[in-house]
Amino acid sequence: MATGILKNVEIKGIACAVPDHIVNNEEYFNVFGEESVRKFINMTGVKTRHVAYDEQCTSDLCYVAAKSLMKKLNWEPSSIDALILITQTPDYAIPATACVLQYRLGLSEDCIAFDINLGCSAYVYGLWQAATMISTQNINRVLLLVGDTSNFGINQNDSSTAMIFGDGGTATALERTEGKEIKYFLKTKGSGYKSIIVPAGHARSRSQINTDPSEYELYMNGADVFSFTITDVPKALNSFMEEFSIDKNEVDMYVFHQANLFILKHLVRKLGIPMEKVPISIDRYGNTSGESIPLTLVDVLGNEQSDDTLKLILCGFGVGLSYGGIYLEMKKSACIPMIYTNYYFKGDVSEERNENQ
Amino acid sequence: MTVKEKLNILEELLSIEKDTLDENRLLEDMEEWDSMAVISLIAMFDSVFGKEIKTEEIKQFRTVKDIIDKME
Repeated sequence: MATGILKNVEIKGIACAVPDHIVNNEEYFNVFGEESVRKFINMTGVKTRHVAYDEQCTSDLCYVAAKSLMKKLNWEPSSIDALILITQTPDYAIPATACVLQYRLGLSEDCIAFDINLGCSAYVYGLWQAATMISTQNINRVLLLVGDTSNFGINQNDSSTAMIFGDGGTATALERTEGKEIKYFLKTKGSGYKSIIVPAGHARSRSQINTDPSEYELYMNGADVFSFTITDVPKALNSFMEEFSIDKNEVDMYVFHQANLFILKHLVRKLGIPMEKVPISIDRYGNTSGESIPLTLVDVLGNEQSDDTLKLILCGFGVGLSYGGIYLEMKKSACIPMIYTNYYFKGDVSEERNENQ
Repeated sequence: MTVKEKLNILEELLSIEKDTLDENRLLEDMEEWDSMAVISLIAMFDSVFGKEIKTEEIKQFRTVKDIIDKME
């Protein structure tokens, strides 16, 4: 298992922007029948979700979150050394959306910018990547953007995917800080790559003539993902905590990827941790893919003013299959309140850049 | 655990009235036997029997008895 400690790095702030368009799953009574929708809500815990408008992309939500965070921290665009975007719903097949955002946010041309393609484990991998750059390179400030508009490409008649996902974009500011550190573990179980997949749309299935239209939609084998989550994830998390002598009782909060309430409850029971230490956002925001961990942190801490420090375990698992965990300390006041927005990019970068001046 | 106790566990898991499930029933004929039931079954094997059950094994189940036989 890949584990380690990355020194002299700290999370300075987290922001999250979600669409102000709310979908209530009860609206699906006439699609799937009241009884089966109620059963679905009961099991997954998803009552309402914030769903992106047709024109609204991941980049737009991340843009709003990043701008608010930079303003709160008084981070000049020119002071940001790197921008990392993790999404599975980029603006274009090419180029990387991080390059577009570097321009839209008015960051310097000396800024490193790139995309990473990961879902449920995105935040953990993103923190590791950003912290590695700060800890080992001549880099002081990294903006980590994690977001998805997962409802894009969903078959509205497939009950296993139509009612589960919420959309959102997050920004996390990491900075070189002497004496602070991040501990991590990362793992990959690629043998399960077919468990959550959109088979078509890229090079493996590039012929449009013979491709079944459903191949462009998300397929998820819930049972396989569930099996993986309740066996591999607790095993790895327990061994990580043991390796670094992290006392379960001393952790203030365990923030898990918000996959599904039933999965979360089972995972928590297996780990033997109290549910009071596990914040839940899936009931109001749905399964928010890679951004679910920072979104949940913003949901629970967004209005905190105290500079007290929290000891946090963050753990993401899913599509890939990819998983990992992070242990870190963060100020309670690091998160800014949730942003609800209908904003989307209308194609004029100069307008956005003027606003940033 | 007796067969009756095992049936009671399955009845609760599938939201079926107690003492009404027949072990010879075909799963494919039961409307309660859906993708969420499969997930609940995996969870039940894990928490009650400490047993990891693969989805491939579940696909082989034809009757309620096939499940009961694995519950040990």
